[in-house]
Amino acid sequence: MPLITVPMFTIVFLAIVRQAGRGDLAQYALLAPVLIALWQLSLFCSGEILAEERWAGTLEPTLAAPASFPALVMARILAVTAVALVSVPEVLLAGRLLFGVSLHLRHPLALVLTMLATGFAVAGTALIMAAVFVLTRSARTFQNSLSYPLYVLGGVFVPVAFLPSWLRPLSSVVFLSWSGDLLRASLAAEPVHRLGLRLAVVCALGLAGLALGAGLLERVLSRLKRNGSVGVA
Amino acid sequence: MRRAGDVLRVLRYAVLSGYYDYQTIYTWRTWMVGWYVRVLSQVAFFALIGKLLHSPERTHYLLVGNAMLLAASGSLVAVASTQWERWAGTLPLLVAAPSSHVVVFAGRSLAFVADAVLTSLGAFFAAAAIFGLPLPWPRVLLLPGLVVSIAVATYALAIFLGGCALRAPGSRNVVSNLATTTMMAVAGVNVPVSFYPAPVHALSYALPLTFGLRGVRGLLGGASGGTVVADVAAQLAIALGWLALALLTFDRFGERGRRTGAIDFS
Repeated sequence: MPLITVPMFTIVFLAIVRQAGRGDLAQYALLAPVLIALWQLSLFCSGEILAEERWAGTLEPTLAAPASFPALVMARILAVTAVALVSVPEVLLAGRLLFGVSLHLRHPLALVLTMLATGFAVAGTALIMAAVFVLTRSARTFQNSLSYPLYVLGGVFVPVAFLPSWLRPLSSVVFLSWSGDLLRASLAAEPVHRLGLRLAVVCALGLAGLALGAGLLERVLSRLKRNGSVGVA
Repeated sequence: MRRAGDVLRVLRYAVLSGYYDYQTIYTWRTWMVGWYVRVLSQVAFFALIGKLLHSPERTHYLLVGNAMLLAASGSLVAVASTQWERWAGTLPLLVAAPSSHVVVFAGRSLAFVADAVLTSLGAFFAAAAIFGLPLPWPRVLLLPGLVVSIAVATYALAIFLGGCALRAPGSRNVVSNLATTTMMAVAGVNVPVSFYPAPVHALSYALPLTFGLRGVRGLLGGASGGTVVADVAAQLAIALGWLALALLTFDRFGERGRRTGAIDFS
């Protein structure tokens, strides 16, 4: 689904900046749909991996298998995250064909490293959701609620500096805000300052998500096994 | 007279059924903490782009457009809800019943239309306070009426799309998301319709939201009453067109399903 709406978001964002006569913000408009696609796939696909296993009745045999369950889930999440990167050519194509704009790769290495770190952080966060969604009967309610608040806090289009000062501390623990700033910096003419440190923060937040997700998954699964409710919501 | 009474009774049960469906999705707490924060963030996300552009005028334009989009997109839940009867196994019964199944489908999602109106108005007034949008008094009192008209008009489009999606159940979310993002792009939500090339205008003006939103902007911007009424009337006329198409769609779906024995299958 996110890959279908990516070109539409690209059109909307580019139309806004073009109509306002701010062609200098076209790079922002091209990056935002990519971050949105990454986040949405994490929410809607990766987050539902466990729940779907349960609906299909395959959660019990998968848990009974000798292979590591968290490793299995993580591998599937990484596969989904890799698919999300298809949004990059989609955005580039929509921008080029409909508005005649393209990404200016001023710092390609920074861009690639940021995308990789972001993919890792997305996967870590998705593991938390996979664990939480299996506990709730209304995962869709959570999913629907976790999109735009994170786009605002994560500075997906508008940098965090434009947010009220009381919201900024909250933004700093959202990996998207670091990723978004780094991606925009990698397209700017100026050198990317403190690249290593900023990448480390994205990775650390991803690692925190991963640790929290793995811990939650273990607790959730042991609770389901104890209650005998692995296969029922 | 008796027939009208029957239709109203069917509609009442469908509305009640939809209301109970709605209650399984949200409680007051999850609505306020989850959904309302989400929709307010959606409007704020776009209004912040106006801040990035350093233009109060653009900020307010984006705020109004995206708050009204919520009234339309909320009504598009009807695209997906038409599938619920299939999943519940009640679709063959509906097709076999002598009452019109359009009445059932229309009533089934009415709770979501009410939610769309509440969501849109709630996000609009909160965002207006946050971003300093001036509200012309007493004209703003007419805004809820216009929001209801947007939600109801888009509902007609949603029922038509829902009928189309019945043929391909897996497409229901794709259809409603594409409809939402298309409105976001071309219905005057984020940029004026005139921004796009002329061939796109036909699509823009086929969407009920385009006229409804123009009416809202006119109301808030001091346009004459006649202009606002004309926009609302145009919106409702387009909605009637979509409703007529919806009636055709559902009847054809029912006939085809009876003929092929595939009412309950995709």
